[in-house]
Amino acid sequence: MNDKNCPPNSRQRVAGVLRRMLSRQESVVFVVLIFEILLFSAIGRNFLAPDNVRNIVRHSVEIGLLALVMTPIILTGGIDLSVGSMMGLCAVAFGMLWGEAHFAPWLAACAAVAIGTAGGAINAGLITRLGLPPLIVTLGTFSLFRGLAEALTGGSKSFTDFPDSFLSLGNSLAFGVPVQAWVLVVVSLFVWGLVHRTTAGRAFRAIGFAPEGARYAGIPVGKRIAFAYTLAGAVAGLAAVIFVSRVGEARANAGTGYELAAITAVVLGGTSIFGGTGSVYGTLLGVASVAVLSNGLSRILSISDISRELSGMLTGALLLVALAGGALTKALAERPHRSKPADPVNSESAGRKEK
Amino acid sequence: MAPHLLNLASIVKSFGPVRALKGVSFDLRAGEVHAVLGENGAGKSTLIKVITGAHQPDGGTLVVGGEAVAALTPARARDLGIACIYQQPALFPYLTAAENIGLRLKKSGAFSLTNWKDQRAHAQELLNRIGAEISPDAEVSALSMPEQQLVEIACALGTGARIVIMDEPTASLTQKEQLLLFAVVRDLRASGIGVIYISHRLEEIFALADRVTVLRDGESISTSAVADLDEAQLIRLMVGREFDHIYPPAESAPGGTVLSLRNLGSRAGGVHGVTLDVRAGEIVGLAGLVGAGRTELARILFGLTPADSGEITLNGLPLSIRSPREAISHGIAYVPEDRRRHGIILEMPIAHNITLAILPEFFPATLLREGAEAKLAQRFIRLLGIKAHSPESRGGTLSGGNQQKVSLARWLATKPKLLILDEPTQGVDIGAKAEIHKIIRDLTRDGLAVLMISSDLPEILGMSDRIGVMRGGTLTAVFGGKSDAHTVMSAALGQEAA
Amino acid sequence: MMQKYMRELSIAFVLALLLLALAVFAPNFFAIHPLLSRLTAQSPALVAAIGMTLVIVCRQIDISIGSQFGMCAVVAGVLAAKGMSLPVVLLASAGAGAVMGATNGALVAWLRLPSIVVTLATMVTWAEALRLWQQGRLLDLPAHVKWLSLGQTAGQTTLVVFTVVLVLFAAWAMRNLAAGRHVFAVGNDAEAARLAGIDPQWVTFGVFVLMGVLMGIAAVMNIAQSPQVQPTCGDGLELKVIAACVVGGVAVSGGRGGLLGVFLGFLLLANVNPALTHFHAQAYWEKAIQGLVILLAVVADGVCSKLPNKAGDSKAK
Repeated sequence: MNDKNCPPNSRQRVAGVLRRMLSRQESVVFVVLIFEILLFSAIGRNFLAPDNVRNIVRHSVEIGLLALVMTPIILTGGIDLSVGSMMGLCAVAFGMLWGEAHFAPWLAACAAVAIGTAGGAINAGLITRLGLPPLIVTLGTFSLFRGLAEALTGGSKSFTDFPDSFLSLGNSLAFGVPVQAWVLVVVSLFVWGLVHRTTAGRAFRAIGFAPEGARYAGIPVGKRIAFAYTLAGAVAGLAAVIFVSRVGEARANAGTGYELAAITAVVLGGTSIFGGTGSVYGTLLGVASVAVLSNGLSRILSISDISRELSGMLTGALLLVALAGGALTKALAERPHRSKPADPVNSESAGRKEK
Repeated sequence: MAPHLLNLASIVKSFGPVRALKGVSFDLRAGEVHAVLGENGAGKSTLIKVITGAHQPDGGTLVVGGEAVAALTPARARDLGIACIYQQPALFPYLTAAENIGLRLKKSGAFSLTNWKDQRAHAQELLNRIGAEISPDAEVSALSMPEQQLVEIACALGTGARIVIMDEPTASLTQKEQLLLFAVVRDLRASGIGVIYISHRLEEIFALADRVTVLRDGESISTSAVADLDEAQLIRLMVGREFDHIYPPAESAPGGTVLSLRNLGSRAGGVHGVTLDVRAGEIVGLAGLVGAGRTELARILFGLTPADSGEITLNGLPLSIRSPREAISHGIAYVPEDRRRHGIILEMPIAHNITLAILPEFFPATLLREGAEAKLAQRFIRLLGIKAHSPESRGGTLSGGNQQKVSLARWLATKPKLLILDEPTQGVDIGAKAEIHKIIRDLTRDGLAVLMISSDLPEILGMSDRIGVMRGGTLTAVFGGKSDAHTVMSAALGQEAA
Repeated sequence: MMQKYMRELSIAFVLALLLLALAVFAPNFFAIHPLLSRLTAQSPALVAAIGMTLVIVCRQIDISIGSQFGMCAVVAGVLAAKGMSLPVVLLASAGAGAVMGATNGALVAWLRLPSIVVTLATMVTWAEALRLWQQGRLLDLPAHVKWLSLGQTAGQTTLVVFTVVLVLFAAWAMRNLAAGRHVFAVGNDAEAARLAGIDPQWVTFGVFVLMGVLMGIAAVMNIAQSPQVQPTCGDGLELKVIAACVVGGVAVSGGRGGLLGVFLGFLLLANVNPALTHFHAQAYWEKAIQGLVILLAVVADGVCSKLPNKAGDSKAK
């Protein structure tokens, strides 16, 4: 039993990688996605036709963007309920700047992203400077941002008649792929890099696993968390612009319900709601699963209203199942450790902390 | 002779390879205050947990009120009249004292009505009985710590406890509050309750206790009437042992001063007037009892607690340390006491744990390089003899000793000038202990200055080139060269060395 | 004494100012019939606030109540349309609420999932299920349901009085029933509660079930006021109710809070919008004000708890 310090040979390494892959939730979602694709292409007509695939992609970019930036937040053990409302506010701001202040669309878009960044910064400030729970802060901004959007439009006004050059962002192709998909690709690469390849990503996980422990290791916890929330705001602004371009209308209810879809995608994709574990690739798989499900159902049932609710229900149910599954896996993973020699001073049953 | 309330015989309790209790016998009579004395790690807290049912002993018998008890649980212990008052009271902060007392009584149905008048009157009666000037309507969070303790005692009385355990009750009390507590304890004794009193303060033991049991290394060394002993004898009982463990000696003289503290104080940390030097290549041990302020001092040096008076100088440069990141950048490293919560992150692999404190330095341009990281981890695994499957193994899969080595590796990776160790071998098996000691000594050969906080007296005596003793938030003595257990313990207790 | 009721007093003060301003500038705010109608319309939300108070005191949250409300209303409406009597309708509605509450409660209490995410999921699941079922149709209600068959004024008065009685009873129960005290204990410190012989799981579960039952009752109160049931009648309810609780001094960290504050907070918030209408101001600011109010209340709590404090948090080593 002396080989513990020898580096594993290549076959052992491959076996280890495979074992780890299969036990991870990302693999499960991947299988689910493949299953969905197979099911719908067998049952529905022209499911895999390029037109339909483009449709699926177009409809999933906005939620995908939100899910991507929700990932670092959930990795730190936090949550952001306000991203959907932020979209609404940014959409309205965009509309107003273009429609009333006559900004050029690209300028208005930059301003929209700036507003989103400011909103994210508000969340960040309240959470890190005042130490308020992310749940309630973002619940408050969820209401505030949407409310501002509604107040600014008097509840009904919206902006239309955008120039074709702008609408092409949301509706035409670049290199055979919907234009906004490239935006998603760029943001995906950025967030993937952030979470998996930078020290900030390592910090997010450490904070999620052990906020105090991260502090003891010299990690600037406040700064990292603030960045995550501010980034979410900025990308919500970007998603708002894409939304407006796709539907051709800047209105206050943009992004309604998107925060739930984003959180669902993230959790489905294997990111633990408690923080620490998760991956961007899992989130993208989660987004894809939800988008494919929604589209597939609409083709089977051919009454698009029913499918929308059904997919909404299934999304909710899926989230519950994903959560429950995650909880069970966590419980099972912790079981072996209970038989480990308990530290007499630091063990859980140490009652009141003494020193 | 008063009846026995409690009788423990040959209690054995192990946690994996660590044998916390090796056959402890203890008894408690009605109407007596029985003190339990022993260094940290002697087994006092484990003994308490066995009595309160939080831990099940691996061997031995437990007899409560004349009846043998097989598997004691906390709920059962409460029903049998055993109550424990910890240093941090287990009260409901936003409820009143009366309600806290009321909720701890025997369970009532969910739809029973709370009789506020009766509850208040009952609480008032209990509080009066112990002479506490606390209104039953006071919200617990608004009470001071000693007042909360008194409420806890009232709760214990309310549950009809016959056996009351007090764990270092005077640790945070003023002189006046202590006297009040003593009066309470005497009243409890007079009413036939048996009090198990854990304290390091010899003057309290002589003032209050009828009998005293000394624990050492998990064994009950002696139980005698307090009247039959004097201080010197007690101290001898506490520390007397053979040193069968060889500590690696220093090989060269220490170099220049690395850390210099002058009159360092922090109100938030409860520390004042600390003046100390640590030189390159030397190990300064920091001894003292629980509550003396050692970890608080470490936290100040590491930027976790702000200092508001005095100076910290590192290699001649005066410093103001406002965060752990700043401390690390100056070359100060802190291996914390709470290994599982602060020392390593259990869910992360060893390699990630090791680089966690050097993220900006090891990965310039913030990009991770897992290959280089794994190499670094392998180097430390070899250097420190960490027994793990691979650098990818999660921290939680390691034994206590190996976890401590990973924690150490993390801080060694920061290439510190000053290494602060807080209980470096607590809960670590003998083999790993020796290895860690050797590692620490080897490090000093390269000029590292080490400040080592430990409650393990042999470790302090064996490892330290000089020993500082803290008591009451300040440094009260510094012993150069080799010292002996008796001297150090006396200083820690505040006694004149006999 | 003043210290203890600081929050309630400040809300009462602001409320008094608001009412005073209304009395001076828009006295027809107090015209008896519209006033009664408004109070009746607000009653279901107040009933919901009772449940939410208990949930938050227990250190949880429930954002699915809007969907529960809609679902219960439709269940009640469907049964009423089939000719069922009012008591049966009430029972069924409360039962539906109990089932939905129990789902939340089980997932939170025994699977230890964070209540925010669980209730987020159930909120959507039930809302979509309802939409699937009803397709957005409005349900016509039979005559015997309207105003509880008492005629408008008598019906409205009954509903308002019932609400007030319920609030008083709930306040009494929270203070005097052991079950109520257990909720506070668990919200303060679940471990200490366990050590005191209270089962935190069952208490948490019970709190969510009760929330569901109250939503069922509130739903029936709602359908008694309109000729039709709108499946979207619960939209935005959770925000309104949480805002009232947070403003009323219920700490999000659990263990603290009372119905008096919630009642006053509710009155204040519920009348901001009608007041705006009467002042001929923009009425679309409701959500924004709600959000702002939640943030202000939470910031105030956060700032207060950071003030230099008592010995309660001394940390000696």
